[in-house]
Formats: sequence, structure tokens, C-alpha cells
Amino acid sequence: MAVSWLRQLAARSRVPVFPVWGWHDDALLARLALSSQVELVDSPRHASVLLVIGEIPAALRDGLRRLHDQLPAPFAAVWLRGAPIVALGAPVQIARDDQLIETLVRTHRELMLGQRESAPRLLPDEPPNPWKGLGDDGHGGEGMMGGNPYGRPMAMNMQNDLRDGLTLDSLTFRLGPFFPLLPAGLCAEVTLQGDVIQSWETRHAALPQRLDPIFHAARQHPVSIADLELARARHHLVQLYRALHLAGLEHVAHQAVSLSQRLTSSSRLDGLRRQLMRSGIFRLAAMDGVQLDGELASHLGGPAARAAGLEVDLRTNDASYQSLGFRPQYRTAGTTRARWEQWLGEIKQSLQLARQAERDNLHTANTGAVETPRGPWADERPADGSALLDEVLPGLEWDEAMTLIASLDLRAVADAPREASA
Amino acid sequence: MIESLASLLMVTVVLVLGPYVVAVLDRLVATPTGAMAGDVWLGPLSRAAWLLTQQANATEAPDWQAWRLSPALYLALAAVGLAVVPWSPTLIATDLVTSVVLWGSVEALATVVIFLQGWSANAVLPLIGAYRYVALGLSYILISMFVLIGVALPAESLQWTQVVTAQESLWNVIRQPLGLPLFLVVGLGLTFWGPLNLADSTDLAGGTSAEVSGPSRLAWELARAVMLVAFSAIAATAFLGGWLGPWLPGPVWVLLKTLAVLALLLWLGHRLPRVAPERCVTLMWVVLLPLSFVDLIWAGVLALWA
Repeated sequence: MAVSWLRQLAARSRVPVFPVWGWHDDALLARLALSSQVELVDSPRHASVLLVIGEIPAALRDGLRRLHDQLPAPFAAVWLRGAPIVALGAPVQIARDDQLIETLVRTHRELMLGQRESAPRLLPDEPPNPWKGLGDDGHGGEGMMGGNPYGRPMAMNMQNDLRDGLTLDSLTFRLGPFFPLLPAGLCAEVTLQGDVIQSWETRHAALPQRLDPIFHAARQHPVSIADLELARARHHLVQLYRALHLAGLEHVAHQAVSLSQRLTSSSRLDGLRRQLMRSGIFRLAAMDGVQLDGELASHLGGPAARAAGLEVDLRTNDASYQSLGFRPQYRTAGTTRARWEQWLGEIKQSLQLARQAERDNLHTANTGAVETPRGPWADERPADGSALLDEVLPGLEWDEAMTLIASLDLRAVADAPREASA
Repeated sequence: MIESLASLLMVTVVLVLGPYVVAVLDRLVATPTGAMAGDVWLGPLSRAAWLLTQQANATEAPDWQAWRLSPALYLALAAVGLAVVPWSPTLIATDLVTSVVLWGSVEALATVVIFLQGWSANAVLPLIGAYRYVALGLSYILISMFVLIGVALPAESLQWTQVVTAQESLWNVIRQPLGLPLFLVVGLGLTFWGPLNLADSTDLAGGTSAEVSGPSRLAWELARAVMLVAFSAIAATAFLGGWLGPWLPGPVWVLLKTLAVLALLLWLGHRLPRVAPERCVTLMWVVLLPLSFVDLIWAGVLALWA
């Protein structure tokens, strides 16, 4: 059958991709974000391709199945560095990272031209909980109140308002494990009153992150300080990219992720910082609400701790860093704004250190303990901090809460390093 | 008769071509930074074709009628806005004596339609987006009301053609320097664009349209784009002298001025971050609403003096 001109035209569109990160990879995220052929989307309803990167733990596979079935037809699932879940029909698997963009484009094109069947649904198309059919209005309870229609509580208030005493109906729902504004794997039961978070209960921690191999190598043997600091700056730039995307500043986000990919010791942060200041983001976004206290901040370590005034950094113990005159930067406020400023300060500092170290070909002196971008890694790897959200999010408006989450690196560090990108 | 047909044709052409112009301009504004890569000219068409081939998904127990109707209603409101834009002293689809008031009602009714779009999906994130717009919509409308009364005062009329005629000696953008900046804020709010995109924002994974796909999503995006064009044309009429200008025919001047306002709005959309809802409320009620009073008093004093 002749392919219609509409489908021919549709096949030329950018590929809307909803990524699911089993193993997060900053370099891969940057490649996707910078591609002119791919568009990363925040809702599975807006995607043509579901991209699953790495192995998805068994506990999260039901969530993945539900997510999979939310993509509107025609759609395809593409698997990179991991095996497809069993029930998936005709999946697309990629062995090498450098085939990713090409495969995404080809898959989308085949879908549009009718050369590939849309992926089958994995779950029956029915409500997750049956309609109870009880009560005067079929709401599952007696009288006007009570009951759990469709297995969910009624949107009625059972708690006092946390903000201004104006009590509204509360709404409880499950968020995650692949909500794009949360770290992959993080799943929470959230109760809102209006747009204020009444309660946040973490049900599944974020999946561990795989750091650049150089942080693992630094625990085994001396490594180039220039390379180590550039990897640290790259990590912070990708964090900044996510936070900027959330803030709706796509062009600065693009600049941040682009800089992360071409970062050398001679790179400068001034242009990016100038763009940020000119945009007025520190005045317009909600960044000053919650202060992480010392205890919570020390649990997270790294830039979050230093932004809360804790002068903790394993690099101060390293003789090579001492010879470079290294002193950890820190802020005192512990707010989202302080963490943004901390990122910017640490990126600039890392670039300065990389320039100095490159000139003298300096290597780290200490092994066994390394300051990762996520925090200190001495005897134990930096641990997951997802549960911290249960304490800090109640009382915040939704926008402020998401901004706060984007300013924190909550993920534990995995025991294996990131795979080198092909 | 011929002019009535011509004016209806103008409205139809803008309805059809407006979204494409918005999409191309938006890409041109964004492309220098690379934030929206891809084919500038063909990209909007291929994206529209993709949405037309995609399934319009269902959620669990949505209000189907309202969900399907809301993009059409938003588009209809934008069309009503375009219908009162005077392209020349005589080329105007509906030259009501209360056309300024009609535009005000378009802004008010947009609140209902945007709420409907978010509420009818029966899903959490669209619902939050819908409530957000309702919470903030009133502040945009109040500012708009004072600014529009300000432009009606020198014309001594609530008719857009009279508002333009009253600018023959001096455009309102100069006569009332606070008016256009305040009205642009209203425009960003009404179309929930850029810094005031709180209804369809990234923190809600797309907000009122987070659960929408396929042709329904295309219809919603088209409606938003047409509303942006309609607003730009009204802004050009209210503050930039509408059809007034040397050498070129009146409709060309309206078109050029509309494109200039549109480009400015799109540029602001890419250069400013999304304003936090709580700060947005403070900004509107504490700063911009008092400024709109000042604008109105200024306009009133000038009218009395004249």
C-alpha cells in the first residue's frame, strides 16, 4: 500500500523519546540532549519511542510495564545495554552507544512509514482496581463520604493545611518510579493539599548512579588531577542541565550540556554564568525556601553539604591538591540557590585546578579515599539520600519541591563505574 | 460586502497560517542558541504530521466531551479575538462598538477553557496545571482590564477602530509608556507562554496537556499559537497604532506590527525562566497591579489635559 504523504512527512520529524534510565549515563544524556534529530520529552504521552537504558531491577518492572503502555500508538521500545523484559514483543536492541541516534531515527521512521508494527500492550486495558459499585453514588462507601472508588481514597481532607490554614481537599497519588523530574527509580506516595505537599513518603529509593571511571580508578592508583577535575565539572554541568530544563531555560540548559561535552582545561564558565544572571533565575524561581540543616546536608555530602556551610572535602587531605593551594568552597545558606551557586563555584574551581594540574602534570597523592561529585568515598560509597525528601518536602509548593529535588544529587554511587561511551 | 468577505478571509488565513508562523518564528528565535534544533521550515509541518498519525490516548474515566471540546473552545476564543482586530479603517470582521470589552471577555473565558482542558483528563498533573491557571488568571485579567481602559480613554470609545484613530497624533506605546510592557505580561499569562507557562510547565511534565497525545494535542498547540497571534494583533492595535504608518497599506502595517510583538513574546519565552507560582502571585498583585493603576491614572490625567 502506498504510504501517504502525511506519513512520509511524519517520518521526517524529530524523534520524541521518553528515556528510562536503569543505568544513568551523563554522556549518553548529553548526546541525546544535543542531537538535532531527537527530542527528549517529559511525558510518555508525548513520545514515539521508549528508550530503556541499562537493566531495570525486578522491583521496578511493573512500573516499566505501566509506563510502556502509556505511549500512544504507533510506538516502539528501544533497549540499550540491557535485555528487554520478557513479555515485550519485537523489541529493538542496541549493542553500541554510537548506534543509538541512528537506531532511534530509523525506528521512528519505520513506525511512521508502516514498516514496523507498533509495540504490543503488555497489560490489560482496564482500571488497576475494579469499580466497587457500592454506595449511593457508586463511590465504594456508605453515605456521601468514605469508600475507595477505583481503589483510591476520595479527594477529601483528613489533615490540616500546612501553609495558611485554608484547608482544601487532599489528593493522594503515587509518583515514580520513572517520573522524569525525579531520579530514576525513586517512587513516592504523595499527598497534596492544593499544590502544597502535605506528605511525601518514599517507597523506593533512586537507582544508584555510575560515576565516571576515573573516580573508581582514583581509589586504586594515582590519577591525573586534570582529568579528575574535568570529570567532576562535567558531572555538575549535567546536574545543572537538568535543573535548567526544569526551570524552562532550555537555551541555557543546552549551553550547559554542550559545554560538558567539549570541556577542556581551557574552557571558561563565564558565558554560562552571565546567561544565568541575565535570565533573572535567582529572583524569579523559588530557590530560597528550605534550608538543609547540617545533619541532613552531611548525610548527602559533596556540594550539598558544602552549600550548607560544612567545610568537608577529601581533597583537602591530598598533598597534590595542597600543593595547588586547594581550599574547598562553601556557602552557608543550604538553600536551592546556595546549591546552584555551589555548582557554579565548584565547576569554575575544577577548571582552574585542571589548568594548574595540567601544567605541572600533577597526579593525586591519596588513594583509597576520593571526593566524588556526589560526596566523600572513603570506606563506604556515598549512600542513597532519597528518604531525606520525606522530611524536607512537606509544606512546599509543587514547583518549589521539584526545584529543590533537581538541586540535590540523591542517588547512591554504584559499585561499578560507567561504561565508556563508544 | 466585499470588505466583509475580505476581512473574514483575513481571519481564516491567520487561523490557518498563524500557528505555522509561530512555530517557525519560535525556532528562529531559539536556533541561535541551538536549544531547538532541527529543520526550521519543515520541522513544524513534520511535527504536525506526526501528531496527526499518533493515537489520541485515553486516561482512566476522562470527561470525554470536555476533553475534546476544550482545544476547540480555546481556538474559537482566539478566532473571536482575531475577528475584532481592525486591519484598516474598514477591513474588520466585527467592528463592534464594544470590541474592547469583547476582547476582555475572551481573556476571562480563556480561564474556563484552560481549566477544562486540565480537569477533564482526570489525572493528577493536568489537574494541578488547571488549578494553577485559575489561581493566577484573575491577576492577569485585572491588569489587562486597567490597561485596556487606559487605551480606551484617549479614544473616548470601547471600539478598536476608534482606539487606533486616537493614535494618529501619538501611538499609545509612547503616550502610555507602562501600557505595552504590562499588556505583554498579560499576553504571556493568557497564552501561558515562557516565564508564565505555569499551566503546561515542565515541573508538571506538560501540565494540562501532559496526558494529551495525537490530534488532540495538535489542536491544543494550534489553539495556543493562534491565541498568541490574536493577542499580538490586539497589542499592535492597542499600542502600536494598528494600521497607521507611512507608505505601506494598513493591513501590511498591522501584519508587521503583529509579527514584531509576536517575535518579542517568543524571544522573552526563551530568555526568561518560568516564574515560581508564589512569586508570580506576588509580582502580579504587589508590583504589576499597582503599576496598572498608575498607568490608568496617567492615561486619565492625559485625557483630561487634552
